[in-house]
Amino acid sequence: MTTAVQADLVRFAGVTKTYSNGFTALAPIDLTIGPGKVVSIVGPSGCGKTTLLRMAGGLSSPTTGELSIGSTQNSYVFQDPTLMAWRNVLANTELVSRIRKVPRAETRRRAVEALRLVGLENVQKSLPRELSGGMRMRVSLARALASEPDLMLMDEPFAALDEFTRDRMADELIRLWRERRFGVLFITHSIREAVKIAHEVVVMASGPGRIVEIVESPSPPGTDPDAARDTDALDETVKYIGARLAAA
Amino acid sequence: MSIAEKTPATPPAQTPATPQAAARPTVPRKAPSGRTLLSFVLPPLVVLVIAVALWQALISLFGVPKFLVPAPLDVLAEIGPAIGTLVEPTLVTMGEAYGGFLLAAVVGFAVAFVMARWNVAERGLYPYMVLLQTIPIIAVAPILVVWLGPGPTTNTVVAAMIAVFPVTANTLTGLKSTDRNLVQLFAMAGASKRYEMSVLRIPYALPYVLTGLRIAAGSSVIGAIVGEFVAGIGGGQGGLGYVITSTAQQLLMPRLFLAVIAASCVSLLLFGLVRLVEVLALRRWHESAMSSDD
Ligand SMILES: Nc1ncnc2c1ncn2[C@@H]1O[C@H](COP(=O)(O)OP(=O)(O)O)[C@@H](O)[C@H]1O
Ligand SMILES: [Mg+2]
Repeated sequence: MTTAVQADLVRFAGVTKTYSNGFTALAPIDLTIGPGKVVSIVGPSGCGKTTLLRMAGGLSSPTTGELSIGSTQNSYVFQDPTLMAWRNVLANTELVSRIRKVPRAETRRRAVEALRLVGLENVQKSLPRELSGGMRMRVSLARALASEPDLMLMDEPFAALDEFTRDRMADELIRLWRERRFGVLFITHSIREAVKIAHEVVVMASGPGRIVEIVESPSPPGTDPDAARDTDALDETVKYIGARLAAA
Repeated sequence: MSIAEKTPATPPAQTPATPQAAARPTVPRKAPSGRTLLSFVLPPLVVLVIAVALWQALISLFGVPKFLVPAPLDVLAEIGPAIGTLVEPTLVTMGEAYGGFLLAAVVGFAVAFVMARWNVAERGLYPYMVLLQTIPIIAVAPILVVWLGPGPTTNTVVAAMIAVFPVTANTLTGLKSTDRNLVQLFAMAGASKRYEMSVLRIPYALPYVLTGLRIAAGSSVIGAIVGEFVAGIGGGQGGLGYVITSTAQQLLMPRLFLAVIAASCVSLLLFGLVRLVEVLALRRWHESAMSSDD
């Protein structure tokens, strides 16, 4: 899937969004997500993060400006696992391929592989309610992975989990990224999570929603051995972004 | 939508320690042992015995005449002589009520489906659904008697008219309250409306549909008996509603009581059947059908 020369997955050029009720959610936005890049977004609630994500996924169109979408396969991961309670883990994971009428055997292969990647190969027949919150979120991740996306759109995906599970899920996402190298647009309330996970952190402010600054992460997911994590540089970046958010 | 009962979302399940624990629960499911079964049956049984004993005692104590309030023993004694005259009417009412229930289930679901599928249909039909609910059916029954003649057909239609609204209202609520994000997910993957309906919305709505049917089970029996009150006997055999009016006129109180009990049983049986389907269909995934230790 990954070729040497590839178009950007998403490019916002002067994109604004005004809802039909006249509310301007986003002032002109300029943002590019290159192939295989992990970009996280932080900002106060109501600053237009979800609006931005929905536009990147083609679910909503810009009011003005230019939005080019180069990704061929998006996957959306929500804050809640958003599973079908009456279908087992395997069927939930196969959902997108089934809808797309991917051949049966291939559908199964992708789902089983995705479940293996998230460590759930042993609970394929379980129903969502028989799993813990963290496991259900991993099913949600597996469902996204099984559709073989080149861009993952994640809207506060781990926000509903306890802190311990949440940290582990972030590590897991980085591990999955190393295997598949999909692009990620990742909304979070945790500055530390944003810095830890991404190549770049988009800092947003509201009134109207806009990008204040795009900060490079000192620990991008591709480079590090684990030793490079939790360094002073990371702490400093977290502090810096915190200050930027407070000032905006 | 006043009738629609709220069906709560599934709460987060308990956290199993390991994936294996989730796949194969280590604690075996508790079989309903004699003890637990008893703890379910005993309390209401005790209440029943006390109530019946109190009833008997008060009547003996104050010498209330039988033609006003029959004592439990009078009612019991009536079973033998009355049973022959009650079986037929019970079957008639049963046929009308259950027929009306099935009609309401099919029509109610179909109308809700059409309303959920096409917005125009919802806007066009909803006011009339509400209107249908607000019309006192007992006032319409005589019109139906004129049109359809007195008898089981009319009573079945009256039963269906009363039972249809809860089915439609609940089904519609279920079909339309499907998780927004799941709907979005289906749309993003390019699912057709038809696929979305059959794979997502209808299964999601199932608990709501069954709640509607449970309400309809009671309503349809009421409808059948109301129909019989108004339409009377028609050409053939009268139902329990007819027995109730005629025994009341003749002050045959023990028999009247038996007819009321029979009507309750007709209702209870249907309710029980719906509940059984509900538990069988939903017990694995929906809270409303799970045993409390799950
Ligand atoms: N469909 C909509 N119509 C009108 N206003 C909306 C709509 N969706 C979101 N908004 C408004 O746009 C702003 C940004 O929303 P959102 O993108 O969800 O913010 P965030 O995800 O950062 O919390 C909010 O003030 C919200 O109320
Ligand atoms: Mg949001």
